[in-house]
Amino acid sequence: MVTSIVVVGVGGQGVMTLARWIGRAALAAGYDVKIAEVHGLSQRGGSVEVHVRFGERVYGPVVSEADADYVAALEALEALRAFKYIKEGGVLVVNKRIIQIPGRYVDPEQVYAALSSYARTRFIPAFDIAVKLGDPIYENSVIFGFMARMLGLDGYVDWLDARNLKAFEEGRKLASS
Amino acid sequence: MRHLLLGNEAIAYGALSAGVAVAAGYPGTPSSEIIETLEEYKDRFVEWATNEKTAVEMAYGAALAGARALAAMKHVGLNVAADPLHSAAYTGVVGGFLIVTADDPNMWSSQNEQDSRWYGLQSYIPVLEPSEPQEAFKMAKEGLLLSESLEHPVMLRSVTRLSHVRAPVDVEPPAPPKFGKFSRNMEKYVLVPQNARARRADLLKKWERIADIAARFISVEGDGPVTVVTSGVGYLYAVEAVERLRVKATIIKASMSVPLPRKILDLIRGDAVVVEEGDPVVETQLRILGVRTRGKLDGFFPRMGELSLRSVIEGVSKALNLGVKLPEPPRPPLQPPPRPPYFCPGCPHMGTFYALKLAAAGHNVVWSGDIGCYTLGINTGQQDLATHMGSSVGLGMGIAVADKEKLVIATIGDSTFYHAALPQLVDLKTKRIPMVVVIMDNEYTAMTGGQPSPSKLIPAEKLAEAVGLKHYAMDPADLKKSIEVAKKAIADAKSGEPVVVVSRRPCILEAYRTARRSGVRPPKYYVVADKCKACGICYNVLRCYAITRLPDGKAWIDPSLCNGCSMCAQVCPYDAIKTEDPERARKWLELWSRA
Repeated sequence: MVTSIVVVGVGGQGVMTLARWIGRAALAAGYDVKIAEVHGLSQRGGSVEVHVRFGERVYGPVVSEADADYVAALEALEALRAFKYIKEGGVLVVNKRIIQIPGRYVDPEQVYAALSSYARTRFIPAFDIAVKLGDPIYENSVIFGFMARMLGLDGYVDWLDARNLKAFEEGRKLASS
Repeated sequence: MRHLLLGNEAIAYGALSAGVAVAAGYPGTPSSEIIETLEEYKDRFVEWATNEKTAVEMAYGAALAGARALAAMKHVGLNVAADPLHSAAYTGVVGGFLIVTADDPNMWSSQNEQDSRWYGLQSYIPVLEPSEPQEAFKMAKEGLLLSESLEHPVMLRSVTRLSHVRAPVDVEPPAPPKFGKFSRNMEKYVLVPQNARARRADLLKKWERIADIAARFISVEGDGPVTVVTSGVGYLYAVEAVERLRVKATIIKASMSVPLPRKILDLIRGDAVVVEEGDPVVETQLRILGVRTRGKLDGFFPRMGELSLRSVIEGVSKALNLGVKLPEPPRPPLQPPPRPPYFCPGCPHMGTFYALKLAAAGHNVVWSGDIGCYTLGINTGQQDLATHMGSSVGLGMGIAVADKEKLVIATIGDSTFYHAALPQLVDLKTKRIPMVVVIMDNEYTAMTGGQPSPSKLIPAEKLAEAVGLKHYAMDPADLKKSIEVAKKAIADAKSGEPVVVVSRRPCILEAYRTARRSGVRPPKYYVVADKCKACGICYNVLRCYAITRLPDGKAWIDPSLCNGCSMCAQVCPYDAIKTEDPERARKWLELWSRA
């Protein structure tokens, strides 16, 4: 059995780091892992998409449409863009944050309402939690905590540094409740 | 110990464990991390070359002198290096010589989708094609040693889905670097016609021998009635697709995909389904060997883009008439607007393009563009073309002589300028082509992650000076002065003179890193809502990514994105954009200019 996760967000949000953390926890848990940086022009501000697959033996590095067990989005517009990856019954985890696109303002409430129409959407106030912890930079750690708990990998993060671990715990608590 | 390594890192470690002593490359996605990884090893000669040709020459020369050498680049870089590449097969080498190319199917970061394996067939150089990072490690090592034992260059072909995939890899420690001693061999190395003819005859014989060796690189899994021939990452998708479709298959993996050995015929029963990333290179060779194939040539698998598990399942299903239908991808409940890449907030190129746009108003301009961050000038309509490294000056000259009505403004970054536009600079002078060449010098190869650029050591204005071209200096963070400079340069070009503008300010991301290290916090700018008249100059003309147009047309600056460049405050006609601490803002501009 292979678990397929699509991690998306906007350049500068730490999408790649989040994907690597998930991969590292899976490796520590004894799984085979592949992490594919699918999209990102190595620029800040563009859409970034990284695929993580783990299991006993992982062959293909990329997650196909309608084949992801989880989509983890650090930004809500990117969650919409990655919607095509969710397989039947798959879970959509969304950081409650919108990074507007120049000249293309969208109403956040409309975006959140649209995402809520999918039954298995989980909103995480990761941005707000991270700001409370002192820096928006920790929003990916909050999502990591949530995802790690959902994936049963939360026991394999002893390598995470203290400050990220604090944010991680906040996310993990949300998944446990 | 198993590490999660990128395919590119695995290639570098493989070469290290084979004792590579000389490595050269030019940055290009998805290949850059190979040289970046090797750079850490100071007991060898590792360099970022000025372009791929000089990189291949460096490694080739070292290998002629008996050293173990590697050259790394992206697929289009191999075009630049094609001349020495072909000669390397004729002369052969003494030390191992591995040429690593990373292809980019689907053109995630490239202008085309070419398949480097054709170069193997064209130049008589065998091509190894690993499928995942662990194998990339192994084949980089084997490839270098094989090259040395054959006294012949070997290519290792990667693709985006190997170079930029991270997976567990067992690495062996680096072996000591093997440098060499050059021995004369005029008959081999001086390719005058009489020598070259003898080399050609020898090469053809050698190619037969290599085709026999290629048989050693074939592996077989399963023994079902359906034959699937694969190479590279195609193998991974094929295994998974066959498993999901519950097809009983024999999967043949050709890890040396050029040349394909005749012996492969012994393993194929009936028609062969062929799964490979890129062009039908394995499939074409199989056809030449007389195999009936079902691959890309007849449209079972898509001819463009990357393979995916989905396209391979559908392709295998079509090829075997299984009639499998995969579930349709779910539609998003709301279509998000596209998020194209923009200049980073505060990018010096943003200022240069703004100044050029205002200075060129009223002129009939052809914006002759190039490959790099500044191709994003497309967002403000300031790139009429961008086709290859050096296209801005090269094609710009052609346009200028063909259509004298137009004013050609060529925009080129520093690294691309040194890579591909030095001969053009000479042409510009000797043929006296009236046009403006703007060298946008941010002192880094920024697009690929901030590798060094020669510009700090050899400033572009010194080269313009040496060639005898009129030149101006520009600081793109000072918009008013930049517009004046641009106007002067345009007037020169209109009066028939070629002119160079060097617009210099370091990449703001690099400056930001420097600032963080020295404990400086760049300032943030904000919009005074009462003063903003919703004119849109900041978000429409300057087009800073950090500035959003609110529903009432007024501007809002996202403080988490603002890099404190001050350009928006300079363009605002209503003085509605402010910063908390002007003194800190001034200090930041100063630090940034020295990053």
